[in-house]
Amino acid sequence: MNAVISEKDGAVTGESLRSGNTSSKILIIIPAYNEEHSISRVIDDVKTHCPSAHILVINDGSKDRTKEVAEANGAYVITLPTNLGIGGAMQTGYRYAYRYGYDVAVQVDGDGQHKAEQLHLILSPVLSGKADLAIGSRFIEQTGFQSSATRRIGIKILSTIVSAMTRKKVLDVTSGFRAANKRAISVFQSDYATDYPEVDSIVLVNRSGLRTSEVAVTMEARTGGTSSINAMRSVYYMIKVTLALFIRSLKQTKPVEVQS
Amino acid sequence: MQALWIITSVAFLIVLIMLINRRLLREQYSMLWLLFGVVMLILSVRPQIIDSLADSIGIDYAPALLFLVGILFCVALILHLTVIVSKLSEKVIRLTQELGILHHELHERKRSES
Repeated sequence: MNAVISEKDGAVTGESLRSGNTSSKILIIIPAYNEEHSISRVIDDVKTHCPSAHILVINDGSKDRTKEVAEANGAYVITLPTNLGIGGAMQTGYRYAYRYGYDVAVQVDGDGQHKAEQLHLILSPVLSGKADLAIGSRFIEQTGFQSSATRRIGIKILSTIVSAMTRKKVLDVTSGFRAANKRAISVFQSDYATDYPEVDSIVLVNRSGLRTSEVAVTMEARTGGTSSINAMRSVYYMIKVTLALFIRSLKQTKPVEVQS
Repeated sequence: MQALWIITSVAFLIVLIMLINRRLLREQYSMLWLLFGVVMLILSVRPQIIDSLADSIGIDYAPALLFLVGILFCVALILHLTVIVSKLSEKVIRLTQELGILHHELHERKRSES
């Protein structure tokens, strides 16, 4: 790759990403469960806005044609023989990133709610070394899809707990639009909650001595499939995630080992 | 009546040994059950042990001690099994992930060769 831009200043713009001017090895991980209708647009968008990145779709035991559609669109596809849930699928991606020495692993959901044109926003703090985990947040500028009122209350409660545990304010704790550097990849590949991992992983990263950074993004309502969290499961979700956070505070956290 | 308890205990031990022999029960998990069977046998041969034990710790109704020990044993066993199930699911997740990654690598290698 020629004309490498200075990433130390954090000057990663949408333009520089689109022209492929990054020296870092970037892996875009797209966890997908029955997303045949939305996955091709997601892959195309990522290709347009971040052509130098490798795209890895984790097909989490889909029953539809997610695998075929993703392969036809030129993405790497890892098909899990059974459905592990979002956390187990994402961890597969992190383990892949860890094994092949990627500098950054980015999570982009397969349902189309995350916008590839904003990849540079969450990549910037990580590539510039300002943060180990950058989280795309809907609630900083409060534009775009804001989720339902009840869900926002739930997220607010979790945000309060997480902020108290980490002594650092994080608003959109459930956001799956995030970028992880080598150190965060190293943490996640060995320890990542199997279901509903987003909230828990923020505390995990913090307890491992790594830095998080929340950046403003806009999201869209999902374009295909159904959310893994429906209305009936919301209460269960809240209880489970809150419990997981308290269990996390009891768990021992291993020091980070960074691969050379 | 006592003969019936002794026969039951011996039969239980025989079934255990058969299960271990046929490898339907791994040795590491059979220890607890063997211990349980042996205690059952001892108690059926000498049921007075229960009476004197209950007496010494101040339980008036001796069979209550038997129930107490039985329930505690069940709780301990269930906890032990939950630990095993947790370990197993952790392993299954790891294996599933590794299998997915290896399958992908094989696929890529084949594609680059052809």
